[in-house]
Amino acid sequence: MAPPEDGPKEHRRGLTRAGAGGPRYPAWLVLPAVSWYVLFFLVPLGFIVATSFGTVVGFSDIAYTWSLDNYRYLWDDVVGELHIYRDIFLATFKLSIVGTLSTLAIGFPLAYYIARYAKHKTLLLLLVIVPFWTSFLIRAYAWLIVLDPEFPLFRALGMSELVERQGILFSEKAIFIGVTYNYLPLMVLPLYAALERMDWSLVEAAQDLGDSPLRAFRRVTLPLALPGILAGSLLVFIPLTGEYIIPVILGGNKTFYAGSLIAQQFLESGDWPLGSAIAMVVIGALTIALLIYARALGKQEQYG
Amino acid sequence: MSDELSMWERPLNRRGFVAGASAAALAAAGLGRLGATDALAATEQGGTLFYYNWAQYVNPKTYAEFTKATGIKVKKGFYDSNETLAAKLRGGARGYDLVCPTGYMTKELISEKRLLPLDWSKLPNVKRNADPKFLRTGDDPKGTYSVVKDWGTTGFMYRTDKIKERPTTWREFVALTKKYSKTSLVDSSPEVVGSIATMLGYSYNTEKQKELDAVRKVLLELKPHIVLLHSSNYDTAIARGQAWMGLGWNGDGLALAARLKGKARYVVAKEGGEIWIDYYNIPVGAANTDAAHAWINFVYSPRIAGLETSYTYYGSPLKRSLLRGTAAGALLKDPVVFPAPATVKKLETNQVSAAGKRLRERIWTEFKAS
Repeated sequence: MAPPEDGPKEHRRGLTRAGAGGPRYPAWLVLPAVSWYVLFFLVPLGFIVATSFGTVVGFSDIAYTWSLDNYRYLWDDVVGELHIYRDIFLATFKLSIVGTLSTLAIGFPLAYYIARYAKHKTLLLLLVIVPFWTSFLIRAYAWLIVLDPEFPLFRALGMSELVERQGILFSEKAIFIGVTYNYLPLMVLPLYAALERMDWSLVEAAQDLGDSPLRAFRRVTLPLALPGILAGSLLVFIPLTGEYIIPVILGGNKTFYAGSLIAQQFLESGDWPLGSAIAMVVIGALTIALLIYARALGKQEQYG
Repeated sequence: MSDELSMWERPLNRRGFVAGASAAALAAAGLGRLGATDALAATEQGGTLFYYNWAQYVNPKTYAEFTKATGIKVKKGFYDSNETLAAKLRGGARGYDLVCPTGYMTKELISEKRLLPLDWSKLPNVKRNADPKFLRTGDDPKGTYSVVKDWGTTGFMYRTDKIKERPTTWREFVALTKKYSKTSLVDSSPEVVGSIATMLGYSYNTEKQKELDAVRKVLLELKPHIVLLHSSNYDTAIARGQAWMGLGWNGDGLALAARLKGKARYVVAKEGGEIWIDYYNIPVGAANTDAAHAWINFVYSPRIAGLETSYTYYGSPLKRSLLRGTAAGALLKDPVVFPAPATVKKLETNQVSAAGKRLRERIWTEFKAS
């Protein structure tokens, strides 16, 4: 009689582990993570919130006046005629969208190939990660040399003039190229993780039952890869909203994005209150976007 | 992002061209014996000097000679604008022993009580060798907190092989910018706004709304023709031909001409522009003020001052007669390094007030975003 009794017990234990019951792990396990976030995220965020309601006195001193002036200034800009800041926010949104879509367009086929067909998966994944061993900054500077019309390869191919005429270096195109290159691994890795877990016999089954390859991809592969697509898009999109090194180096610093705008307020203008207010607007917009995203995701899971 | 930020500051130079770090190693090989004047500074001290400075603004040979003479090692950090330096100090950074802001920033830092007073008994070389007019500048009349490091001008440089015109004024600079669309500007509002203001016949430091509106209009028209906005990559971009003309500093201009074997020229615009003085300051929170004094005193010996000028191409504050026969001897007659008094008279130092700065930053943001 012993075995049958054991069975349900095992089952119940499994349920508890899945989170239905009380805490099985001591709460102090999350202490390092929580204190890290409180100390290095919530506290600085509090400073930014407080500073954003301040005013600059003299060249740099901050008076915590709890005034709405900085937000009012930004609001007037957005609804007014000048709309400098509105255009900067729109350009930032565009950069983030373009960067996310281009890394997805390049990253998906690559991850698909590695996960489904490649023989040396580990080697290929390693090659995707290798650029990360070099500093972000140096990778951006490297493109400064590659996009130069005088780059030896272009000269050898007699393409220098063509490249020169395209005017890629110090333009928006150069920024998009640099962004796509630098953020690609962040997209490929979660896509690969999702596709690697996939049971490819499902695709074969769909095709055996009459689906065309394209239809099978749309109805089987894509829904199963969706968590990877969403995770990769978040990993690329969120840091891109604060990107400012690539535009400075490859874009010639001529196009202004939210990241460069905030950096300028802090480092050059010495206007920390306005910089903080701009940062709060970016954080606020991002939070709203993520909430919408999470809701859409929740619905997706219900139907999926 | 903070890691990238500090990395970001490293390879940048406002003053001088990218000479390559290997120069420091080469320099160590070819050192001569120390002269008699250097020996005065050469009291064995040891320790470390944390020198936070514009990049490529010290002859690599000077570091090696200083360490050899005093036993003090130099730890280096670099910034590419006065504002970045100020942001660090205002943010509470500690441990910098020596910094080199420009006059207007030294004044701001003094008024904010962020600098330590100097001990002049440790600076005999400065008292003996400085040109007296540099001991009494307007930024810190009694020299309580500062000693002059270098001085120079803000004008423009251009490639004589790419541009057939020979511009001498800001007006021509603007016209050629619109013609060729190959111009770079430094990423710094005082220089750009101030220079365009002098072009329009206003003061470099104008704070009048009407005049600033006129400057704004010129700048917005100029924006589509700008290749690059950067305070330290610009000379490399001109050397590579990515830009043909650039607003910048005289030392960079002369270094560029040397690099292109004379196919570039630096011009102080006829309408005027900026003359700047950079100072040695010891910030509050310095860990080794003795080492900072030792450095200042050391570079005020004529031979070392000559080494410095021959590398940075910026004006030295030492008595001109002392520099004859040093490495800078050949540069004493160069009007780019030591502009004539008549040229200097037309130039102004940056004196913008806090309120004026705010007005100018708004224009600058609009210019960059347009």
